[in-house]
Amino acid sequence: MTQTPCLAAVATGLHAGYATVLLFLLFGIFFGNLALGIARLVRPRKPGGEKAVTYECGELPSGSSWVRFNIRFYLVALFFIVFDVEVIFLYPWAVVFKPLSAAAGSLVFVEMAMFLGILAIGLAYIWVKGDLDWVKSLARRSGTEVGGE
Amino acid sequence: MSVDMLQIPDWSDLGGFLPETVMFGAFLLALLGDLVVRRRPVVPFAVVMAGALTALALSFAGLDAPERTILGGLVVVDGMAAFFRILFSLIAVATLLVSWASEEIMGRSRENKGEYYALIALMTGGMMVMAEARDLLMLYLSLELVSLSSYVMAGYMRNSLRATEASLKYVIFGAVSSGVMLYGLSLLYGLTGSLTYAGVRDALAAGAGDPLSLLTVCVLLLAGLGYKIAMVPFHFWAPDVYEGAPTPVSAFFSVGPKAAGFALMIRFFYTTMQPAVDRVDWRLLIAVLSVATMTFGNLVAVRQVNVKRLLAYSSIAHAGYLLMGFLMLTAEGLQAILFYLLVYALMNLGAFLFVVALNNSLKSEHLDDYAGLGFRSPWAAAMMIVFLFSLTGLPPTAGFIGKFYLFAAVMHEGWYWLAIVGVLNSVVSLFYYMKIARTMYFTKAPADAPAVPIAPLHYVTLVLLAAPTLFLGLYWGGFKDLADRAVQHFTAL
Repeated sequence: MTQTPCLAAVATGLHAGYATVLLFLLFGIFFGNLALGIARLVRPRKPGGEKAVTYECGELPSGSSWVRFNIRFYLVALFFIVFDVEVIFLYPWAVVFKPLSAAAGSLVFVEMAMFLGILAIGLAYIWVKGDLDWVKSLARRSGTEVGGE
Repeated sequence: MSVDMLQIPDWSDLGGFLPETVMFGAFLLALLGDLVVRRRPVVPFAVVMAGALTALALSFAGLDAPERTILGGLVVVDGMAAFFRILFSLIAVATLLVSWASEEIMGRSRENKGEYYALIALMTGGMMVMAEARDLLMLYLSLELVSLSSYVMAGYMRNSLRATEASLKYVIFGAVSSGVMLYGLSLLYGLTGSLTYAGVRDALAAGAGDPLSLLTVCVLLLAGLGYKIAMVPFHFWAPDVYEGAPTPVSAFFSVGPKAAGFALMIRFFYTTMQPAVDRVDWRLLIAVLSVATMTFGNLVAVRQVNVKRLLAYSSIAHAGYLLMGFLMLTAEGLQAILFYLLVYALMNLGAFLFVVALNNSLKSEHLDDYAGLGFRSPWAAAMMIVFLFSLTGLPPTAGFIGKFYLFAAVMHEGWYWLAIVGVLNSVVSLFYYMKIARTMYFTKAPADAPAVPIAPLHYVTLVLLAAPTLFLGLYWGGFKDLADRAVQHFTAL
């Protein structure tokens, strides 16, 4: 094999690359501690109750941070991500679509139509099943539209 | 990258992808049917059943076909793919029949029955793709498709705490193992610079990768694949999930995704890792894991008193037996695995079906509640005996023939110690399988034991599974021939 020496060189190069990472890591630890250590020596020491408070962009924090989020937020986030990714997927498709020949183009078009069709069925499904209603159980029970909070 | 470099699939590619297309189409139709005709689960059931039977009929044609790469090089269709399509369609049909008469699935309080049947179609299609992937991206995509559907199916009984716990454990464990596997795949891509199996194989054959990094890749990949087939030490989810999930779902999980995981492992390891065998002895690694898997599964199963949990550990042990054939890297070993997977699907689905059928009236899977079943429900108990004999590997059942071919393949390659461990394990398994038989026939039922009526559909399905389990123990030639034909064009050997 003529390739072997070349690959061996790549392998050693790979390990040399890891050495750089290790060096970077060590330097990072050292530099961070150095800066904090110097600051500790130089700074005045005035502890106070307000300084120990959680920082919330300057606002006074209210309530505990251990709030349980309603599971509905996750559902909405999931629906959002599905359609968000769909749009991202459409962009590169649209870019390569134009220069394609008629035969390949028709196939690629049908493929994307199938993809969008599957998502449309999914949207119809969650819509009919009531997962888009913010208050699902109430909407089903009364049979009427129930608004947000 | 210019447009010319893209591999645009051809219309004719879809012709080779028909069974999967049918299954995915059935999934969408079942969902739509569930929306249009509400509260009539028979519509999605019929759609998925028709889809599975169509896929089954379409799959036989491909058994003798030579290898063909389709869909832009992501998927390969050959005899082995056809074999697994047949197997998965059969498993889907059996699962549908089992589910339809099951109280756990069709009980009055259950919601989303249509969704359940749709998910079976989606998972069956996904498992077929797992058996055909020839690209690292497709490998991951198909694996995740099956995994994500199975998390939902495990949590189907939304009001049951046990089922919810099972589903959550499954999600967390699955997410971790697929993440670990993804890291292994990225390392493999870094070492070889290719995503296709063929590209990875060529790079490895040209000497890419030192032993240490290849070993790391193997271990990381086995985390993801081992989780799918419930291999020690990635088996922890299996007993809890099988026990907590509805029993028809456990039946499906214990045969479907496990066989799909094996299909994926066979194609991946045989194609890509074979040239690397001089630098990383992954065969020995898998041999050790195989021994650990079967020994652990069998020894822990001995102490179980919940029949579902017992069958879960027994299915772990069976993964161990199958791994023995897997590491032989011979056509004989491969044929033995395929045949054993077919036999295993029959007998394991049968054993689980017995549990489903009894659960309808007993509402329990505890071994003590099975006392005297041999007289309370003689026909069903007799068929359970057939499945238990077959799972142990006793003649004249299919399990004996399956194990015989498996052990023969191991011996022919000179791995005598492995075959001996396998035989010793079968002896251990005899103890706990016969524990069920003993409870059914030799323990007296309490006087107030409830009657155990069995749904007619369950009787029919039991016969449909028990008859071939017995028949294959006497005339296995036809089915063995299927397995032999499936690997005749498998080029990776």
